[in-house]
Amino acid sequence: MTHPANDLHLIKKDHLTGLLRKLMKTHRLVAPVRNRHGDVLFTAIHDLDAVSFELTEPPQNSLKEFFLPQEEVLYTYKVTGKTGYSFQPSSVEVPATVYFGAHPCDISSLLYMDVIFTRNRRDPFYLRRRRGSLIIGINCNQPAENCFCNATGSGPFLELGSDLQLTDLDDRFLVEAGRAGGRAVIAEWPAFFSPAGEKEQALRYQAFLEARGGFQRQVPIEQAIRRLREGTVPDEIWAELSLRCQDCGGCAYLCPTCTCFTITDRPLAQESGERIRAWDACTFAGFTAMAGGHNPVPSGEALRQRFTHKFRDDVKVNGRPGCVGCGRCVGACFGGSDVIRFAKQVTEERGKGAGHD
Amino acid sequence: MAGLATTFGSGAMTNSINEIERAEVILVSGSNTTEAHPQVARRILDAVDRGAKLIVIDPRRTRLARFAHLHLAIKPGTDIPLVNAMMRVLLDEGLADDLFIEMRTENFHALRDMLFRLDLDEASAITGVPLPQIAQAAGLYGRARKAVICYCLGITQHVCGTENVQTLANLAMLAGQVEKQDTGVAPLRGQNNVQGACDMGALPNMLPGYQAVDHDDFRLKFDRAWGARIPAEPGMRLMEMTHAGANGPIRGMFIMGENPMISDPVLDRVEETIRGLDFLAVSDIFLTETARLAHVVFPAACFAEKTGTVTNTERRVQMIRQAIDPPGHCRPDSEIISSLSARLGFPLDYDSPAEIMEEIAALAPIYGGMHHDRLEKGWGLQWPCWDRQHPGTPFLHKYYFTRGRGRFVPAAHTPPAEPPDSDYPFMLITGRVYHQYHTGTMTRKSERLNRECGKAELEINPDDAMDMGIRHGETVRLISRRGELTVSAFCRNQVAKGMLYTSFHFSDTPINRLTIAALDSGSGCPEYKICAVRVEKLRSKP
Amino acid sequence: MQEIIVENSQIRTFVLTFCEPEENVAFSPQPGQFVMVSLPHCGEAPISVSSPPTRPGTIHLSVRKAGKLTNAMHELKPGDPVNLRGPYGRSFPMEELPEKNLFFVAGGIGLAPLRAVINHCLDSGKPPRSITVLYGSRTPSDIAFKNDLQLWQNLGVNCFLTVDAAEPGWHGPVGLVTGLLEGLNPDLSRSMALVCGPPQMFKAVLSRLTALGFGDEQILTTMERHMKCGVGLCRHCHMDGKLACMDGPVFYLSELRGLKLTELDR
Repeated sequence: MTHPANDLHLIKKDHLTGLLRKLMKTHRLVAPVRNRHGDVLFTAIHDLDAVSFELTEPPQNSLKEFFLPQEEVLYTYKVTGKTGYSFQPSSVEVPATVYFGAHPCDISSLLYMDVIFTRNRRDPFYLRRRRGSLIIGINCNQPAENCFCNATGSGPFLELGSDLQLTDLDDRFLVEAGRAGGRAVIAEWPAFFSPAGEKEQALRYQAFLEARGGFQRQVPIEQAIRRLREGTVPDEIWAELSLRCQDCGGCAYLCPTCTCFTITDRPLAQESGERIRAWDACTFAGFTAMAGGHNPVPSGEALRQRFTHKFRDDVKVNGRPGCVGCGRCVGACFGGSDVIRFAKQVTEERGKGAGHD
Repeated sequence: MAGLATTFGSGAMTNSINEIERAEVILVSGSNTTEAHPQVARRILDAVDRGAKLIVIDPRRTRLARFAHLHLAIKPGTDIPLVNAMMRVLLDEGLADDLFIEMRTENFHALRDMLFRLDLDEASAITGVPLPQIAQAAGLYGRARKAVICYCLGITQHVCGTENVQTLANLAMLAGQVEKQDTGVAPLRGQNNVQGACDMGALPNMLPGYQAVDHDDFRLKFDRAWGARIPAEPGMRLMEMTHAGANGPIRGMFIMGENPMISDPVLDRVEETIRGLDFLAVSDIFLTETARLAHVVFPAACFAEKTGTVTNTERRVQMIRQAIDPPGHCRPDSEIISSLSARLGFPLDYDSPAEIMEEIAALAPIYGGMHHDRLEKGWGLQWPCWDRQHPGTPFLHKYYFTRGRGRFVPAAHTPPAEPPDSDYPFMLITGRVYHQYHTGTMTRKSERLNRECGKAELEINPDDAMDMGIRHGETVRLISRRGELTVSAFCRNQVAKGMLYTSFHFSDTPINRLTIAALDSGSGCPEYKICAVRVEKLRSKP
Repeated sequence: MQEIIVENSQIRTFVLTFCEPEENVAFSPQPGQFVMVSLPHCGEAPISVSSPPTRPGTIHLSVRKAGKLTNAMHELKPGDPVNLRGPYGRSFPMEELPEKNLFFVAGGIGLAPLRAVINHCLDSGKPPRSITVLYGSRTPSDIAFKNDLQLWQNLGVNCFLTVDAAEPGWHGPVGLVTGLLEGLNPDLSRSMALVCGPPQMFKAVLSRLTALGFGDEQILTTMERHMKCGVGLCRHCHMDGKLACMDGPVFYLSELRGLKLTELDR
C-alpha cells in the first residue's frame, strides 16, 4: 500500500516530457528506450523529442553500469626514477543524473548496492555517482515473462526507495514522493503536478492487485531460502546445476545485484599505468584461484557460491535475499542453471533431469 | 561439406538450429557442444528438459557427455564401424524406414550388402564401445519420431572425414530422419563466417553459390560479369599451398585472417614453405606469427569496425553493423582488396557493402534474394533465398534432396594415418578449450580469459599419470615423429587410458609441430584428431 | 626496501621502512594481519606481516615465489619502492595468549604470520607459559627462518624441526609435521595451538590435535585465500559465507567447523 508519509500527486502523461525537459536543464537523463534493433536499454538521452520511452518491457541492462561501471579506472600510477612509485586517484566528473523509468526490481538493486558500498567502508567511486542521482521509478502493472519480484519481495510495486515513484493510471501517473529529492522536484516544478486523492489511491491499489496476479512464474524463493539455511540441499542438485552451467558469466554481468569485481593493473607505458576495477563473477574458476595453482573451490563447484551468497548469506546479513527477481539471468543462461531453476530444484523432492553417469 | 554434398547434394546444415529443441533424440558426434557452440548446446539442453534423449559419441568425457543419457566413449577414428554397426542394428530390428528408402533414396542395396557383411563383435572391438551400448543408441535413434544428428570437427578432422560424414548421412536416411521438420543432419561450423566464406567460393573448385568452376556455363557467366578469364581447373587446397616446401610452385601469397604458422599441422613444414616464398602479404587485426613473416601487412578492421553480413551454420545470413571506427589505418577487407585490385589494374568500384551484396544476389542464385535492406530487419534470411519475395529456407531438402534422391555411400573403416605403436604409445587428440579461440590472436589479449586458462594443458588419464609418476601440473615433454615440446600435465578423468588431449591456442606451446599432415582425400582436412606421441618426464625438477 | 633476508631458494623476508617516517609509527599491523602489496604493472596481492608492532620502524614481509607479483618482489633490491595498503584483517587474539602453553605448528611459508605472534609474545610483558614451535619443511636446504629459529631457541623456545626428505648431514626427524606432535603431552587446561600451512598439512594437523584432546576453541589458524580488495567488497576470498579478509584471516577452528572448506575436506 502507499506509505502514509508519501505525498500524493498526479501528473498527466502528456506533461511528463515537459517535466523531464525542466530536469534536463540541471541533470543528465537516463531512461529506457527501444533502439532500432528492438532492444530496450537504459540509455543516456540527448534529444528528448527524438525518443519514446519504453516503460513496460524490462530493459536488458540494469542501473548497475551507471553506478558501478563494467570497467572503471580507480587510480593511475607512475614510476619515477629509482624510488618513485605513486598513485593518483582518478577524477571523473559524474554529472547529476535523473534515472527515469526504473522498475521496482532495479530500484531495489540500487538500494542493495547502497548497502554494499557504504556498509564497511564508504566507497568514493560509487558515492560520487550515487550522490547526484535522482530516481524516478515506475511501478509494474504488467510483470514480464521471467519476473518473480513478488517472490523476492522487491516488487511489483515499490513502497520506499525512489525519489519519485510513478504508477500508471492510464492517462496519468500517480506520483509518490518518497524522499526529499522527490519532494524537492515537486516543489520546484509545481505546474506539472496536481494533488491526488482517495480515488487515485484506490486505483493504485487496484493496479497493484492486478499486477500481483499477473506473474507467469511461481518461484519458491522462501522455501529455497529455508532449505539453504537448514543446509539440506543434496549434493546432486549442486552437481546437476553445475554441470549445466556453461561458465559464461552472463548471469553475474547482467544481474543488477552482482557487485563482485576484480582489480588489475593495466600498463600504459613503461613507467605508468592504470589500476582498474572490473566486473567479475564468482562462477568463474579463476575467481578464487591463487598464484601457485591452488584453488580452494574445487572444479565444477563455483556455481554454488552464486546461490548461497544471494539466498543464504545476504538473508543472514540484510534480512532479505540479494536477488530482486528481475529474471535477466533466466533469459541469458545458456545452460538453464538460472535462479528459477535453482529455486525449483532445491524445493522439489528429487532433482529431475538427465546426467545419468 | 564434401560428405553431405555427395549424399544429400548440399553441404550445409539441413534444418535450423531452433528445430533441435523439438527433437526427441539428439545424437551428437565429435562435438564438444557446450564449449564450442553454446547456443546450440542450449537448444540441446532445452530439448532434454522436454524429455528428449541425448546420445553423445566422444572419446572424451566432456561436459555434454556427462550430461547425456548415453555416452559412447569411442576410440578416436572409429566412427565408421560404430555408425555402421548402429545401422546394422536398425536393419536387424526392423527399424529402417523402408518407405523413405524406397521413395527418396538410391543405392540402398550397396549399403545393405555392406551392412549384412558386418561382424558386430568386431565393430565393438574396433570402436571400444560395448555392443549393448551400440544397440541401445541405435534403438533410441531408430525409434524416435524426430531425431537430429549434430557433428563437428571430431568427425571431420580425420583421414576419413568425408566418409565419416557420409556414414552419418547414411544413418539419417536409413532411419528416415531427414527431410522432415525437427530432424536432419547438422554440421556445426567452426567459425563465425566459415559458411559464408564457402558460400562465396573461398574453395578451390567453386565459384560463389557453389557453382563449380569446371562447369562451363557457370564459369562463363562469371567471366562475362567480371571481364575475366577464370581458369577451368580447380585450384590448390590449403595444405598443398602451405606444405609445398621452400621451392613449391606458389611463389607469392596473400593470407587474410588466417594464421597457418600456428593452426596448420606439421608447423616446421609450414614455416619452411612460408619463409621460402618470394612474397607474402598478410591482412589481419593483430600482428600474428604469420604476419610477422610478411613483406607487407595490411591492418584490417575487426567485426565491430565494419558493416556487412556473416553466414552461420544454419545457412542464416545476418547483418553485422559497424559500431566503432577502425583504429589507426585499419580498413575493412573489402576496401583492402579493392585498393589492391585498383593498383593491379582492375578497379573495383563499390560504394558500400550493400552494393557488393547486390552483385552477389545477381550472380549466386542461392543468395538471389539477399539484400541489405531485407537483412536489416529481424534475424536475417536462410539460403536458398531465390528472389526478393522468397522468405528464405529454414530447412533444406523438404520433399526432395538437392541432388534429387539422397544417395547412400557405404564406407568401410579407415584406420588412422598414424596409430600409436611401441615407440609412440599414446594417441594425441588436439582440439579447443573453452576460454581461448583458435590461435589466441584475440583471446590471449584478454586478461580475464588468460586468468581462466592462460596456458596449454595436456589432459592425461590419472591412471596413466600414476603409472608414469607424473603429478598434476608437472611439466612433461611431448614428442612425435615431427617435433617435440614441453607442456603442463593435467590429470583429469576426461580422457581414457592411452589417450592425451591438448589445444592449439597457445603459440608458446605450438602443438601443431607434432601433428600430422595426413589429409582426408575428399576435403583436404588434416587429421588433427589423431597422431602418435610419447610422453617423457623432464630430467630436472619442474 | 631496507634489507632482504634470503630464507631459502623460494622465500625471502623483506624488511621495509616507510618513505614518510611518521608512517612507521602510525602503520601498526597486529600479528595475523596482512597488507595488500603492489609493484608497478603487477597488481596487488595479500601478504601476511611477519613482524610485530612491538618492534616499530620496519615492516617484515616474508614472501614465497608463486606468481607474477611475488616473483617480481624477489627481483627487488634495497632502496626499491614497494606500495603497501592496509593493514587489514582480524588479528590473533593476543590477549588470550599470556600464561598459556602455546604450540605453533607450521609448514613452509606458514611460519611467517606466526613469527609475528612469537616475537610479540617474546617482547610482551605478559608472556605465555611456554612456547613450542613445530616446523616442517621439504628438505633441510628449504628450512626457512633459520635465524629466527636459532634466536628463539636461545630464548627458551622449544623448536622442533622435521623435513619431508632428508639430505646428507641431516640428523633430525624425517616426515610430516604431524609426527612432531606425537611426543607431546600438553596440559590441555591451558594450551593453545596456532596452525598455519598448506591445506593438506592443515587437515592432518587438525585431526592430530583433536585426537590429542585440543578443543576447537583452543586451535587458531590463519587462512590463505586469493584477495583483491582486502576490505570485504570483491568477495574473491569467500569461504562459504565468510570473507577471509574481514572475518579472518585468523579464525578459531570452532568458527570454521560448520563451513564447507577444502581445508576441512568438505
